[in-house]
Amino acid sequence: MIASVRRKQPSRAILIVAALLILTAGCATAPNPADREATAEFAAVNDPAEPTNRAVFAVNRGLDSAILKPLATVYRDVLPKFFQDRMNDLLDNLRSPVIFVNDLLQGEIDRAIATLARFVVNSTFGLAGLNDIATDIGMEGHDEDFGQTLAVWGVPDGPYVMLPLFGPSNPRDTVGLVVDFLVDPFNLWAGNTGRDYAILSRAGARGIDQRAIYMEALDDIERTSLDYYASIRSLYRQRRAEEIRNGKPSANMPAPGLSQAPADRGAATPDRVMPTQ
Amino acid sequence: MLSRRSKLAPLGVFIAIAFLLAAPAGANEFEQRTEKFIVSLAQQAIESLAKRDVQRDERIRRFRVMFNDHFAVHAIGRFVLGRHWQQATDEEQAEYLVLFEDLMVVSYVDRFQKYAGENLRVVKSRVEGDKTATVFTEIVRPEAGQPIQVIWRIGAKGEALKVLDVLIEGTSLSQTLRADFGSIISQRQGKVAGLIHEMRLKTAELKLPAKN
Repeated sequence: MIASVRRKQPSRAILIVAALLILTAGCATAPNPADREATAEFAAVNDPAEPTNRAVFAVNRGLDSAILKPLATVYRDVLPKFFQDRMNDLLDNLRSPVIFVNDLLQGEIDRAIATLARFVVNSTFGLAGLNDIATDIGMEGHDEDFGQTLAVWGVPDGPYVMLPLFGPSNPRDTVGLVVDFLVDPFNLWAGNTGRDYAILSRAGARGIDQRAIYMEALDDIERTSLDYYASIRSLYRQRRAEEIRNGKPSANMPAPGLSQAPADRGAATPDRVMPTQ
Repeated sequence: MLSRRSKLAPLGVFIAIAFLLAAPAGANEFEQRTEKFIVSLAQQAIESLAKRDVQRDERIRRFRVMFNDHFAVHAIGRFVLGRHWQQATDEEQAEYLVLFEDLMVVSYVDRFQKYAGENLRVVKSRVEGDKTATVFTEIVRPEAGQPIQVIWRIGAKGEALKVLDVLIEGTSLSQTLRADFGSIISQRQGKVAGLIHEMRLKTAELKLPAKN
């Protein structure tokens, strides 16, 4: 899979591979339409290409345990924390232009100004982004991407898709990934000046950085879940919903006792668990 | 006159009760109770789980007591099973609930402190109705990085307060478990017995000391 990736446009090549895999491999079997609850669950899970997705997930896990996880482990355990923090700050700062554009596209002017201010402070006083001093002085950052912007515009996420290398996604977020890549000034600069290695180095560094940060959480989920794939699928969706709400928990909280009533029908518990999605 | 007043009396009582339920004083008291509840939960986690010299079996035993005291274990278990609860036989339901408690205890004994430990700080809380509240907390990580947002959903059952759900960075524990268990059941032709088998295997595996 890696070999088939053209160096010029890595994201697009990977997407084509993903699309081909999904078209050629099997689809999940829908339950009997007469079984309404099973059909509703099938629709809610919204993973029509599940067998293919599971196959891609298995390949991703193989690549992860062979390459990414060992690298991230060494990175986390051997390199000084100082170096890791500078790397993280630098990579975060490089993302700022894309976050800024998405803040604007979502009509979040205050957040756009905050992103711009952080970028200016960190790129100058923070020594080209190596030090996130904006956070130190109380200007905390946030993340945005074009998948979230599309969601704010009302585009539905669509079925779950496991992308090779890139992991959990859906059509909306996949489009977002490509758009963010194409408008990123760093990528534009590197692409136009023939510095493809810079794009790949940055992507690699980001991968290792993020893998190291989520190492413990992912290990826990993998260790304790019965079906790691299904748990990741659920977590990805919940996490994206949270990111789209910009962490405002109130927006999607259901009224107490009303939520999930059909699924819990008859299970008259005095203290019903309140779901959040 | 008198008879008319007595006809209106039930309405008056109803309005009074409605006001009492909505009264900020009552809500504040409940809010404070739930916040205290979370703080004491964190305190207990520190006292009974934080000491490194405690054997794992003993930690599991202590966490089991905490978990049953402060979490609505059966309600969460039923929610997680969702529509399959109805399809399960009485024996399966009983076995499932026992295994569910066991699996949760061994799954969270090693990481509960991460989400309710010494770095827990209550940010705010919100009362929803007279029986549930949400407590927003932050787990401050001294080794840098932004604090982790942990939200506790609490239900009142008489005098007792019980945790109904924990949300870490927007991901709900009960939702995730429901997706996890639901997927296993659908792979086992909708049989709860298939899930029970998997739960037993996983619990046995997790009872062994964690490698990390």
